[in-house]
Amino acid sequence: MRMGAMLTDVIRALFQRPATRQYPFVRTDAPERLRGRLHWDGEKCTGCSLCVKDCPAQALEVFMVDKATKRVVLRYHLDRCTYCAQCVVSCRQSALTMSHDEWELADTDKVLFTITCGDDADVQRMEELAPKDAVEQP
Amino acid sequence: MRELFAILFFPGGLFLLAGGMMYEWADHKLIARLQNRVGPRWFQPLADTVKLLAKEEVIPSGISTFLFIALPIAALAGALTSALYVPLGGLAPTYSFHGDLIVALYMLSLLTLCTGLAGSNTTDSFSLVGATRTLTQLFSYEAPFLVALLGPALAAGSWQISEVNTYAQSHWLLFLQPIGFIVALIGLLGKLEMPPFDSPEAETEIVAGAMTEYSGRGLALFHLGRKVELMVGLTLVASFYLGGLGNPIEFVVKTLALLLGLSVLQSLMARLRIDQIVGLWWRYGALLVLAQWLVLMLIGGFTS
Amino acid sequence: MSEKSEKFIVPIGPQHPALKEPGHFEFTVDGEVVTGASVRLGYAHRGIEKATESRNWTQNMYLLERICGICSHIHALAYCLGVEKLAGVSAPPRAQAIRSVVAELERIHSHLMWLGVAAHEAGFETLFMYSWRDRETLMDVLEALTGNRVNYSANLIGGVKFDINADQRDTILRALEFLEERTAHYMDIVTTDVVFLRRTRGIGTTSAAQAELLGLVGPTARASGVARDVRIDAPYAAYADFPVTLILHNVGDLESRFIVRINELLESYRLIRQILDHMPEGELTARVPRRIKEGETISRVEAPRGELFYFIKSNGSDTPERIKVRTPTMCNMASVPVLGIGQQLADIPMILAGIDPCFSCNDRAAVIHQGDDGDTWTWERLRQYGIDYYRGQP
Repeated sequence: MRMGAMLTDVIRALFQRPATRQYPFVRTDAPERLRGRLHWDGEKCTGCSLCVKDCPAQALEVFMVDKATKRVVLRYHLDRCTYCAQCVVSCRQSALTMSHDEWELADTDKVLFTITCGDDADVQRMEELAPKDAVEQP
Repeated sequence: MRELFAILFFPGGLFLLAGGMMYEWADHKLIARLQNRVGPRWFQPLADTVKLLAKEEVIPSGISTFLFIALPIAALAGALTSALYVPLGGLAPTYSFHGDLIVALYMLSLLTLCTGLAGSNTTDSFSLVGATRTLTQLFSYEAPFLVALLGPALAAGSWQISEVNTYAQSHWLLFLQPIGFIVALIGLLGKLEMPPFDSPEAETEIVAGAMTEYSGRGLALFHLGRKVELMVGLTLVASFYLGGLGNPIEFVVKTLALLLGLSVLQSLMARLRIDQIVGLWWRYGALLVLAQWLVLMLIGGFTS
Repeated sequence: MSEKSEKFIVPIGPQHPALKEPGHFEFTVDGEVVTGASVRLGYAHRGIEKATESRNWTQNMYLLERICGICSHIHALAYCLGVEKLAGVSAPPRAQAIRSVVAELERIHSHLMWLGVAAHEAGFETLFMYSWRDRETLMDVLEALTGNRVNYSANLIGGVKFDINADQRDTILRALEFLEERTAHYMDIVTTDVVFLRRTRGIGTTSAAQAELLGLVGPTARASGVARDVRIDAPYAAYADFPVTLILHNVGDLESRFIVRINELLESYRLIRQILDHMPEGELTARVPRRIKEGETISRVEAPRGELFYFIKSNGSDTPERIKVRTPTMCNMASVPVLGIGQQLADIPMILAGIDPCFSCNDRAAVIHQGDDGDTWTWERLRQYGIDYYRGQP
């Protein structure tokens, strides 16, 4: 039984730098395994849509533009993504990876959250076939 | 003209409010550093006050509107008035007369009393519990705190703050009346409702206690009153126990040293329950300080 | 002071500084003494159990992981173990060991967080700040190990996503070394600091018989001397190979809940070290079919707050037929109104924090009805109610 059991901590803290991280001013590197933005390699993708089936947040849409030549377009919804990396695990062709340093993804424009990846020509064809859903402006 | 200046600018009015804010900031910053945090920037109390003053004041229904508006004003007025009798900034008090110690102390208590009344003047159960606790706590620390401050007055042979201050400059009463100093220090914590005596406004139990229904200007005035009270309380205890306040440098050094002591005490303790607070004050605080008083009187009786 | 003699009700919640999540408590007080209490839950009803029925087995894992932000891994683990049992496969030993390591790391972060929250409820801000500062070390470890601070998503049905390499092993061990020293210090504080002990010793005492009667689980029950720990009673994941020592204390007051949880921290440090030193080699995943065989099963694990219970029923398709979750807070919550009566109002937040409540875990729809007559809602009635509700005429 004693008074002020935290006295040593408190006195030591007076001569210590605060433990607080000054985040926006001082940035520390994210760990190697951090699950950040999804990246897609169109060359490897076969358009099997396993990632779409397993995505818990409906963040992915796969469009098969041309079946014969395996031209695929992926639409990725950054704002729906929960960064669980299930798609990365599900993909048998290792076409999906998650970057560890792109994680400050917040924005004020909703339109920026829908990312369409693929060849320009393919994307154009896909847009004709499946137009983007209207994004409501805040 | 001189009076008006004294009341509006120095040492009353603006100087007091600004000083109170700086002391509150110093207190918050010290506690933050003691807890290994960064703490607020220097203008945080000012920003808070400006924000509260600019906010809409919601007056709840079913209560006395007059009291709701008048009580914060009375509270701040009481705190500001008490400052006129203490040696703020290490300078002589603006007003001084025999027995002004008692007046100053009761002016300070006015703030707590108004808080209690403001809490009672609502139909909200958090406020009512908070008001009950505020007043209960007032009755428990008030007498020991008063007696602890009367110790130096007794030694100086005067109940006038300026004379006690002059006497204290040649006698470090911290060492002559250690019990009185400890009781005064802890009493100050109670008076300012700082941990461990923050039961009346314990946020995890009763939200903001008596202040729950206050928003906007009323709350800003109560908070300003609390800031002024912090500064006046520190001045009073420092001038009585820490060798008096003769000049501004002495004032700043001694009050900040006292504030550091208060911050360490605050950060070391958990919140006491209201029944424990009452028990603590009457069982130990009051008895200890009375025992010291008795010793002082006996010594006084023998030496004279 | 006339109000003091009248009895009146102090409502705590759904929005209240003592609660970080919505829940509603009504305490009838006589002065400062609580004479009656009632609890209302269900503010965090998100319909997760129903939502599982429209997602496939893989998607559900991420949904269930989000039932609780603090014990996210253990929810996914309970679900995965259940599904694996249904599918008739079991994850490889190395995966099981990694699951246990993450589960124990999660327990450490949960208990350290609880220590801070409980200290905060008692107004001991310094202990709060320090325990959370130290918890940050562990959050960094979890982030480095799993890739996220909160929803680790370490599990897969049939294994885990990642391995623990030598670097990460060192990071974990280094963090544990620091935390062990700090934890011993916190134990010293909560058992010796006079002011803090005044708020914990002899408050909210639950006897072993009372704990049995109320059906308490987890550290709350163990603080009352009830030997109940799923890791020991029915070992899952790697706990059969790496046995846990049961932490018991038999006083049952708030202080012993502190002691039990802090001792569990020390036990977790020991266990993680043991697992990391004797890590089984091998595969990380076992193959699990997309369609799970028809059948039903229960899955029990020891979450940081106590026993977590899953009932899983499959109809042979790629979505579950029914998933039922019973979280430890649900079991422990009953003790709050019982223990609260006769205590000081000031101790109520502490008693509430003492069970380490997690309101989001209490994902329940609550039906409030006045009067004492019993009332049963049939499936048809519930369905009709839903239809009427969405038409705007309940």
